Amino acid sequence: MSDQRVFSRYKASEIRADLQNVELKKAKMNTLRRKAALKKIIANLTLGNYAEMIQLFPDILKFWKVEDDMEVKRICHEYTRTIGSIKPRSTVESMPNIMEDLKSHDEDLQIMALETLVNIPFTKFTEEAFNFIIGLVNRRSTSSRLLKTAIYSLLQLDDWDHERVMSLSNILYEIVEQHLESPSVQIAALKTLYTLHDKNKKLEPFSLSVDIAYNLLDIIPELNEWDTSSLLECLVVTVVPTTHSDAYEMINIALSQLQHVNTSVSLNALKFILYLINYVDEIDVSITERLSNSVVALLEKPSELQFLILRNIILLLLTREKPIIQVDVSYFFIEFNDPIYIKDTKLECLYLLANESTLPRILEELEQYSTDIDIQMSRKAVRAIGNLAVKLGDIAADNCVDTLLHLAEFGVDYVVQEIISVFKNILRKYPNRYRKELILFTKYMDCIQEPESKNAMIWIVSNYSEILHNYAELFDIFIADITDEPPEVQFSILNASVKLFVKSPSPHIENICMTLFKTFTEEVNNPDLRGRAFMYWKLLSMAKERPNLLNEDMLKDIVDGELPVIELNSKLDPVILEELELNIGSITSIYLKPTVQIFRQNKIKSLPQSPVLNANKNSLIITHSKQVVSDPIKRDSNHTSSSSLKDVPSTKGSRISTMGDYDRPAQKVNELKGKRKSSSDSPVKNLTRKPSLLIRKLSLKRNK
Amino acid sequence: MASALYFCDDKGKPLLSRRYKDDVPLSAIDKFSTLLLDCEEQSSILPPCISHSGIDYLFIQHNDLYIVALATSLNTNVATIFTFLHRLMAVLGEYLKTVEEESIRDNFIIIYELLDEMMDYGIPQVTETKMLKQYITQKSYKLVKSHKKKRNAARPPTALTNSVSWRPEGIKYKKNEAFLDIVESINMLISQSGQVVRSEIIGAVKIKSRLSGMPDLKLGINDRGIFTKYLEGNDIGTSPAVEEVDDKAKKTKNNESSITNDGKKARSNIELEDLKFHQCVRLSKFENEKIITFIPPDGDFDLMNYRLTTSIKPLIWCDVKMQTHSNSRIEISCKAKAQIKKKSIATNVEILIPVPDDADTPTFKYSHGSLKYVPEKSAILWKIRSFPGGKEYSMRAEMLLPSISNTEETKLKRPVQVKFQIPYFTTSGIQVRYLKINEPTLQYKSYPWVRYITQSGDDYTIRVSNN
Repeated sequence: MSDQRVFSRYKASEIRADLQNVELKKAKMNTLRRKAALKKIIANLTLGNYAEMIQLFPDILKFWKVEDDMEVKRICHEYTRTIGSIKPRSTVESMPNIMEDLKSHDEDLQIMALETLVNIPFTKFTEEAFNFIIGLVNRRSTSSRLLKTAIYSLLQLDDWDHERVMSLSNILYEIVEQHLESPSVQIAALKTLYTLHDKNKKLEPFSLSVDIAYNLLDIIPELNEWDTSSLLECLVVTVVPTTHSDAYEMINIALSQLQHVNTSVSLNALKFILYLINYVDEIDVSITERLSNSVVALLEKPSELQFLILRNIILLLLTREKPIIQVDVSYFFIEFNDPIYIKDTKLECLYLLANESTLPRILEELEQYSTDIDIQMSRKAVRAIGNLAVKLGDIAADNCVDTLLHLAEFGVDYVVQEIISVFKNILRKYPNRYRKELILFTKYMDCIQEPESKNAMIWIVSNYSEILHNYAELFDIFIADITDEPPEVQFSILNASVKLFVKSPSPHIENICMTLFKTFTEEVNNPDLRGRAFMYWKLLSMAKERPNLLNEDMLKDIVDGELPVIELNSKLDPVILEELELNIGSITSIYLKPTVQIFRQNKIKSLPQSPVLNANKNSLIITHSKQVVSDPIKRDSNHTSSSSLKDVPSTKGSRISTMGDYDRPAQKVNELKGKRKSSSDSPVKNLTRKPSLLIRKLSLKRNK
Repeated sequence: MASALYFCDDKGKPLLSRRYKDDVPLSAIDKFSTLLLDCEEQSSILPPCISHSGIDYLFIQHNDLYIVALATSLNTNVATIFTFLHRLMAVLGEYLKTVEEESIRDNFIIIYELLDEMMDYGIPQVTETKMLKQYITQKSYKLVKSHKKKRNAARPPTALTNSVSWRPEGIKYKKNEAFLDIVESINMLISQSGQVVRSEIIGAVKIKSRLSGMPDLKLGINDRGIFTKYLEGNDIGTSPAVEEVDDKAKKTKNNESSITNDGKKARSNIELEDLKFHQCVRLSKFENEKIITFIPPDGDFDLMNYRLTTSIKPLIWCDVKMQTHSNSRIEISCKAKAQIKKKSIATNVEILIPVPDDADTPTFKYSHGSLKYVPEKSAILWKIRSFPGGKEYSMRAEMLLPSISNTEETKLKRPVQVKFQIPYFTTSGIQVRYLKINEPTLQYKSYPWVRYITQSGDDYTIRVSNN
């Protein structure tokens, strides 16, 4: 039988008719009928038809008393919860029914009733819920399933009555500490405590002693997968190892969980291990290998999870000078079927992984992408090649420039424009290395349409006018219809023409300058541009009239001053990184921004102090000896004294000094995001828009 | 922790919802569809995670559905949520066969119940279908009464929290059998020159268990590489895993034989780079003693996944050549070769060769299989039912192109995609030595069955050069 017709809007009176149409026929038919009517109510609530459905409350109450069918009860509770969250006051009448269910002997019914009580934000309900939970928790002997639900429900109650929940926290601590028969209750208490502490800024950070942590880790074999995942998540930051051997021991326990098929378990295990690694002074290479392997294995997941893992890989690559994971670049080669957000993220990973040895392979791939895949991706690939040239040394840059030139030969508009835009950056980094190559670009003048590439080309022409013999002609092309250009291009034309004039004053250029000054001050309506034009105008006339005040060198210095060398800094501030690393797998790790920027109310996580905390992440030594893991205690005694005390004061200082640029995320990440925006207004983008989007847009309108 | 879960149709309109915590406004989901549109408009990149006014929308797509989890706090572990959503789809798949808009509407009561059981206050609880089925049996309208009785009588009260949370007690089969499938999927990216850019083997050991009681299973695999990988430096001879294999293989051999075996191992050592186990496998036991022991859940499940990145040569290699003649016709020739053992046969081979969108009137010449032009995919599909190892087949196709072509040359090049299956063959050479089944109380006779198959993965592609 289909419920299809259930999903349409009904009037309260219609359903009521269905419900009351009872006494006439046989009992069995009636139950079916009534259930169908009740289902209609729930369906209508889902559709958002609250106003009508609220009128049916008395009818629901009537059935609640009469029926003892579980399905009917479930519907009644569902109804009360939904109505309760909108109009808490109106549901008071259902109180006796709920209380009756709460006292029943059926566990399912008890759980249902408790959840209803907890969900309705009204003092009377909350009161009863507390009484019941306190009774349960003190008795202990009750079924673990009910107890577990009761403990978790404190999370919701915390929103209604924080004080009372906190008064129960001692009991929760006890539950966590004792070894109970049912480990999942223990985990429930742990998770609840952890979340409560995390939610409330005023509370002290939640912490557990090392002994309790060991006890909890011991029960892992008895837990189901989700509980294991919760446990590993809760232990991060809450347990602070005080000796190296403790940290090693816990790493060893967690290592086996990396092999769990459930992504959330293995990722939480990874997070826990990475956290603990801050408390050891050296680590065996076999462990880092296993970490890398598990990360790679996680890439074989549904694309959403793959996306998350990739974002976290970016984070791991950024965290340390020598990344703790070693992953072969080929895993980040883009596949044809990847969703676009994966392609995008893979590109970022490739960029971060690039060094002298991997560059040839990466370049080869990027070149493929620039000609192969869709327009957006190919632009990004070109941009990545350019950024690599800036990031790596000059030999690598040679390769990159060769690739770019090769790509330019294809003569595809958007590729050429992108190449010219990035080539500007390359010239900024290596001003004299590519003089020959830049002449080649002048033949692509016709392709240049977008503001960004125009700006780049204008800059190149004005900066290298001494080697471009036809610079005046080139420049004429740009000023042909100057009034129609977007403001940023107008600005750069103005700057460039003045620069050219100062460098080599010829009558032709002087003419151009004068017309520009006139147009910009008289015809164009942009006040900033007008101001700039006046400024240059006055500057030039002052240099001419009173050379004693402003001589030629000074003028050159003002107009054509030396630009700072650009660096692509892909490192994040250590404090932010530390926090991000402790949030692996969370929403912050997707955005790669510090928590305060996304969620203002949240606490900032940081590594708790301990005598064995590594002050500097890069001081970690990766050893190749084999007995490290098997024999941690012996080794430990040799190393504690030397490493942990020495570094503390020096690095503390450096941490604070870099706080200023915390809001600057990884350069690359920024770069791509900025790019997305700007390319979206460009005309080329419109061509790439998928037909599906249009269809969806149309159908959405129709629905309205 | 998720605050609420929503099932939305392909436009982002909610079909069904379950609110776990009362901290997101009811109207939050209404913004989802506009957010989707906005995101797609801003850039064609639509990430599975959207943030809007303090609420995060985490979603996956399944058929024509969006399954959206709303979260408000930083605490939210995205890994947990995405994993849960995928599990949820798997569970619903077992209840409803196909999970799509219509089946969601048809079964919403059951879905509400499932959602209640699977998550408490946004924290995942149980996602094993067999366990859930104890609570929520598939309800057809006629069965409601009888099923209710059964439920009250038979259910053990704390099944969800006992130590073996994935297997209910009291399962009985007349014939006790365990079916073991080893499936290896090959992912490969081959450049136009025939060079392998990337290759990997994704393996899975799948078990279908039809066993009574609480059986304890022990699995032995031929490859000692798995077991010695993490043991380097330790004395291999004393490892119980190795002894176990020896016991089984040659009963009379003593300790000396394990030394000779070490030499053998060096030859056949393959590196399984990462093993992932189902939650039933005792990970600590594997960690310490390298034995795979487990109490299986009832029915189908993946016991183990592994991955190998040893470079392998293409199993099915296609040499595709395309030639465009003066904007009027395109000539495609393809030579396919099965580079596998003579004894093996590749079955259901499908080679999908992309052609320009505007090509028409195909003419084909081929020796084996069947050729078809698939205009909706803009490709030619070459199907070969069985392809014995070492053979080489070829085909030629010619298609006409419109004489007036778009002035703006599109540079979109799609790769050739290949699909195939090779039964009785594993690329990695993995083999099951034994599967011991031991049920302490019932002591029944049981039958393990083993099958091997190699197939193409999601991504077995060959890049094409286009001249």
